[in-house]
Amino acid sequence: MKATRDWFGESLADLAAEHEDIVVVNCDLASATKTAAFRARFPHRFFEVGIAEANAVGVAAGLAQEGLRPFVASFGHFLTGKYLEIFQSVGLNDAGVVLVGTHAGLAIGKDGPTQMGLRDVALMRTLPNVEILHPVDGVETREMMRHVVGHRRPTYLRLCRQPQREVHDPRHRFVPGAPDVLHAGRDVVVFSMGGPVGVVLDALDTLAARGITPTVVNVSSLPVDAAALGDIVDAHRRVFVIEDHYVRGGLADEIARIVLDRGHRVAFRAWGVPDYGQAGDPRDLYARYRLDRDGVVHHLTSFADADLATAPR
Amino acid sequence: MQPSISYATPVPPPDDRLSHRRESPLPTRLARTGQLADRSRAAVLEMIYRAGSGHVGSSLSCVDIISVLRFDQMNWSATRPRSESDVFILSKGHAAPAWYASLMVGGDLGPEEVGTLRQIDSRLQGHPDRTRLDLVDLSTGALGQGLSVAVGRAQAKRLRGRGDFVYCLAGDGELQEGQIWEAVTVAGARRLANVVLVVDHNGSQNDGLLSEIMPLAGLAERFRAFEWHVQDVNGHSHLSLMDALANARDNQAQPSVVIARTRKGHLGPGRIALNGSHSATLTTEEYESAMRYLEGRRDESHP
Repeated sequence: MKATRDWFGESLADLAAEHEDIVVVNCDLASATKTAAFRARFPHRFFEVGIAEANAVGVAAGLAQEGLRPFVASFGHFLTGKYLEIFQSVGLNDAGVVLVGTHAGLAIGKDGPTQMGLRDVALMRTLPNVEILHPVDGVETREMMRHVVGHRRPTYLRLCRQPQREVHDPRHRFVPGAPDVLHAGRDVVVFSMGGPVGVVLDALDTLAARGITPTVVNVSSLPVDAAALGDIVDAHRRVFVIEDHYVRGGLADEIARIVLDRGHRVAFRAWGVPDYGQAGDPRDLYARYRLDRDGVVHHLTSFADADLATAPR
Repeated sequence: MQPSISYATPVPPPDDRLSHRRESPLPTRLARTGQLADRSRAAVLEMIYRAGSGHVGSSLSCVDIISVLRFDQMNWSATRPRSESDVFILSKGHAAPAWYASLMVGGDLGPEEVGTLRQIDSRLQGHPDRTRLDLVDLSTGALGQGLSVAVGRAQAKRLRGRGDFVYCLAGDGELQEGQIWEAVTVAGARRLANVVLVVDHNGSQNDGLLSEIMPLAGLAERFRAFEWHVQDVNGHSHLSLMDALANARDNQAQPSVVIARTRKGHLGPGRIALNGSHSATLTTEEYESAMRYLEGRRDESHP
């Protein structure tokens, strides 16, 4: 098992050998964001700007305007904190910058909420021309990287610090916007992205013993294909969204909007981080916030027991 | 009403070969940029008057700077990709009318667009938007961001072995934004000699005088401390601006800043519009008076 940030770092250095337009803008976090391998191989294409993320965003926009494909990497929390700079210098200029936000979710643990990427998706999904990519494993990370270097649109690539299990066959092909059904079940469909996807898959055996067999869908890119997502929802009575992100503004809001727009008659529940987060061992944090396997079992069991007749129709 | 000065009259055949412009006799160059600057001022006034709002003072303070850059100093043309030519970044995006005016005067925008500033679906957005008008090199408006992009473009040009320059025009009040100094730090540390920052130092900002709101103590010394080449000039003297920009390019070792002393609302010697206000509404009386003043200057030379 490896973290998606590690897969990213390897993939970046590999792709840069054949794509000479790839450059990196760094804010003193090359080791943590895994761009150090690129720096070692292509030092003249590596631009250090120091601890100055707003400037990094602008520098990257300028590099992109000159026809290069810049990756500006930092903790997602710091990078998307420069929202005004991303909005204007990248978004409103349609500059082909790849914003790489690492340390998504609670997994940074003991460093606490000032370092946790817990509201980055909420911010980036407001920008109409920014594609959000959040790979779940190594296969998908490498696939997404090939996709990213093949176009010039603004992109937010969200990466995790914690090692994650491989959920895809090596022959899996990433299709932007396509909901990725990892397990076919019935009655309830679970949508998630990044870290929690593997957690839900790990809970399937326990759930099956209780007679619950959810469909599990990896929504690894936004905006998602609403029609394809709607078709999946149509085959179920309950929709559950779980994310390692603030419960407000993230994936659940994206999916709820689609479900409401299409008039689906389903029960809907969402789970994520309801407060600012806190410091602690990641295992303790995921348990406390009920984002671990036991939490998934708890949520889906209680949802399955809920009387749908009382749900608003 | 009809404008009293026609910015719609085509400029003497636009020749985008920089050598041609710079090698003309100096009096010819000064007469040309002086005339074009006055036409630009008229275009600024009419655009903002017809729009009913806009930053008159902030636009007029930098018309001379933009005219010298666009018509004499920059290797910039509407048809050349900016990755293969000089770049102009208007970091103080609220002065957009000054840039649009130079495009009109230069024949890159039709005069029929003069009434579209700030109107819905217009290419002439209130602040520059390059997704709507590709004659704008950078969308700006929220202050403090332009120099960072200039640094990125300059680094890319150096990586690709290009000899182009990246010109960035910032307001003096804008230098209160911290991001400017992040970019100044990088440009100095990396010795990005292909970056030229021009500061429109008009001394006032939205709420009043810069000296009262947040003074820029030791401005030249600050830039020198970051290893920049510094010049402090009269920002309404085309001769001084031409000299300073040539010096900036000649310095191959450092990024350059030209601190251009200007007056908000500058129309000509001893004459400012709207008492130098940042963005007050232009009344019919004030508009007509300013246009008459420019009309009276038609045949003057502009040293």
